[in-house]
Amino acid sequence: MKLDAEGFEIEDGVDLHYRVLKELGDCYATLGRHGEAWRCYRQAAELSPEQSAPLVGLGVVALQQGRLDSAASAFDDARRLNPACAEAYSGLAMVCQQRRDFAGAFDFYLQCLQFNSDNLVALLGLFQASCQMGTFGKIIHYLERYLDRHPGDTSVLFCLASLYAREGQLLRAQDALLTVLALDPDKPDAQKLLDDVTYRLRQQPMTA
Amino acid sequence: MTTHGKSGPLVTVLISTFNRRRFFADALASILGQEYRHLQVIAVNDGGQSVGDIVSAANDERVIHIDRRENRGLAYSFNQALQYAQGKYVAYLGDDDLFYPHHVRRLVETLEGDTDAGVAYSDLYKVFCRVEPDGSRTVLGKSVNISRDFDRFFMLHFNHTLHVCMMHRLDLIAKTGPYNEDIRVLIDWDMTRRLAFFSDFTHIRDITGEYYAAVANSDRISYRMRKDKAEYLRNILAIRAGRPAKPWPMMKDTSIILQPDGMDAAAGQQLRDLWLWTYVPYQVLLPLPAAALDRLDSHMPGLVRVPAESASSAERFDAALARAAGDFVAVVPGGLKIENGWIETAVHALWHDDRPGVGYLAATADEAHWSVVVRREEVLEARRRYPTLGVRASMEACNIRFQTPDPSRRPFQYDEGLQQAKHLEAEGDFVQAAWVYEQMLASQSNVELLRERLAVALAESGGQAASSRAAAMLRTINDARPTPALLLQEARLSRKHSRHDQAAALLEQAQAMMTEG
Repeated sequence: MKLDAEGFEIEDGVDLHYRVLKELGDCYATLGRHGEAWRCYRQAAELSPEQSAPLVGLGVVALQQGRLDSAASAFDDARRLNPACAEAYSGLAMVCQQRRDFAGAFDFYLQCLQFNSDNLVALLGLFQASCQMGTFGKIIHYLERYLDRHPGDTSVLFCLASLYAREGQLLRAQDALLTVLALDPDKPDAQKLLDDVTYRLRQQPMTA
Repeated sequence: MTTHGKSGPLVTVLISTFNRRRFFADALASILGQEYRHLQVIAVNDGGQSVGDIVSAANDERVIHIDRRENRGLAYSFNQALQYAQGKYVAYLGDDDLFYPHHVRRLVETLEGDTDAGVAYSDLYKVFCRVEPDGSRTVLGKSVNISRDFDRFFMLHFNHTLHVCMMHRLDLIAKTGPYNEDIRVLIDWDMTRRLAFFSDFTHIRDITGEYYAAVANSDRISYRMRKDKAEYLRNILAIRAGRPAKPWPMMKDTSIILQPDGMDAAAGQQLRDLWLWTYVPYQVLLPLPAAALDRLDSHMPGLVRVPAESASSAERFDAALARAAGDFVAVVPGGLKIENGWIETAVHALWHDDRPGVGYLAATADEAHWSVVVRREEVLEARRRYPTLGVRASMEACNIRFQTPDPSRRPFQYDEGLQQAKHLEAEGDFVQAAWVYEQMLASQSNVELLRERLAVALAESGGQAASSRAAAMLRTINDARPTPALLLQEARLSRKHSRHDQAAALLEQAQAMMTEG
């Protein structure tokens, strides 16, 4: 039973209008009906000003429309309202990425993963930012942590294999790619990378 | 001046207002806009800002306006209005609530139909709102939160109908007595509890109105009064001790014969606990020597002092029994622990057991403190036939069998099941919660409500088969009686299966319901 500050029970349905509007905003955003999504998120934010989710929604819509300043402002508002809002950091990272500020994106993705290490958008975004910047050390750790909990996620495992390969950890890359192909044989990119890694391994001098 | 058709029985609608002009106008309009036209509307200004201009502007001959200067409270207002009431039936509306246009028609049709019930009630939305600085209301949520079939026993514990959704025969007021002007909260429960002594209630599973509840800083008088916990408890105890004049065609009375060794502190505590923890209608008979009774300083309602000088416990019991007026008699020794639920199960079991010669043990009884609830006629017969035996022995000699109630005779099984399922849901175990709902559906009432909860639990449980079944159930339910909460649930399932257009349509419907009055 949830109680309010005065000890009265918080009843089911007290935030129902907010939840309907938020869900409807999400739906419209998915359908590309940006204007309607924007209106829903705005209304949801007015109904429950303590919630960061509608602000994130506003940021996503702005991002989809290419209004980067507006998106950054909305994500920033969400972060101020809820400093643990992983989606706000992820949104800010995407804004940075679109501005080709890969270092900023990298930092925001890392902050996002601190609050939600399962955030796939942040993981893949981090991977992309890493590729742009040519630094991979930090991201390997997060991908490994994610895969501990989602061992069947071949997309992330393939990213990790790519990073291993780029970092010269060829045996690890080979293992990861074999697993990817065992789980999902129809993955030509993985097969191609495996062939490349195998070739590189053969080129390495034998050690006793 | 508007005139109106007079087909069907006259229905009196009472509305009392206190300093809520803004909402009163809408509330009154929702009464006058009823599809059912044969109404008498009694609008009482309970000593607040004048609403005379609003009533005049309505220009409707059906309205009687009582404009009182002094604020006397809702119970007084209802009693005053009832003096003018001429309808066969009475309905009520809060000054910030709304009837939907079919409300009165739906209730009249039911009461005039094939039913012996003198009371009917429908479902309604509880509208959670935020009162803005300018006095307007922003709707935060709208959910059907009271929708259960009538349960007389539960009504003794808690009001499961609200006046806004209820209509009753006017002549029942002659039996229940007027509204209790000594209580300030739960006035409606006090009346519905008393109505349950005289009539069945029919539940109409149709949403016919809206009841507004401000989420914070409510201006509702009942909300403010509840903050004073001592006063709140005083009101609750006053309501629970209410005993309208007999006969009670629909209620059982229990005479509790309490036999402490003397009038000491422990006996005083036992009396207080009886007052606190007895929900069924009762009287307490206290057979003690006059000197001991003189030391008793108690305002406990329903307490009958029985002077009994005999040293024999059985003879003192007989003195009390001679004055017992209940259908049932509870034999209660001094020292018996009185706590929540101590007698409810035994009374409920006996009430629902047609077999003669059965007594049910109180929940807290043990060998040292033997306590039982039996039919008064049977214990009278036992005492008549075996006056020299002890009370228990005389009943055993008359072949009265003492039993612990089996689970099937327990009260509140529905509520316990619901609590269990809600607890499982709070733990995230929706599979098990769905199983509980399935079990309840097999054996309990409130079938529609349970189907709704089952559909939601299945939707949340995540399995493919459960999800498909939930989708089918939710579609059927939302076709018949959509609510914003269930439309939201169905939309979430649609989104899960990437049917975003369908989800958007469902959510648009939910959003429209949220904003329309």
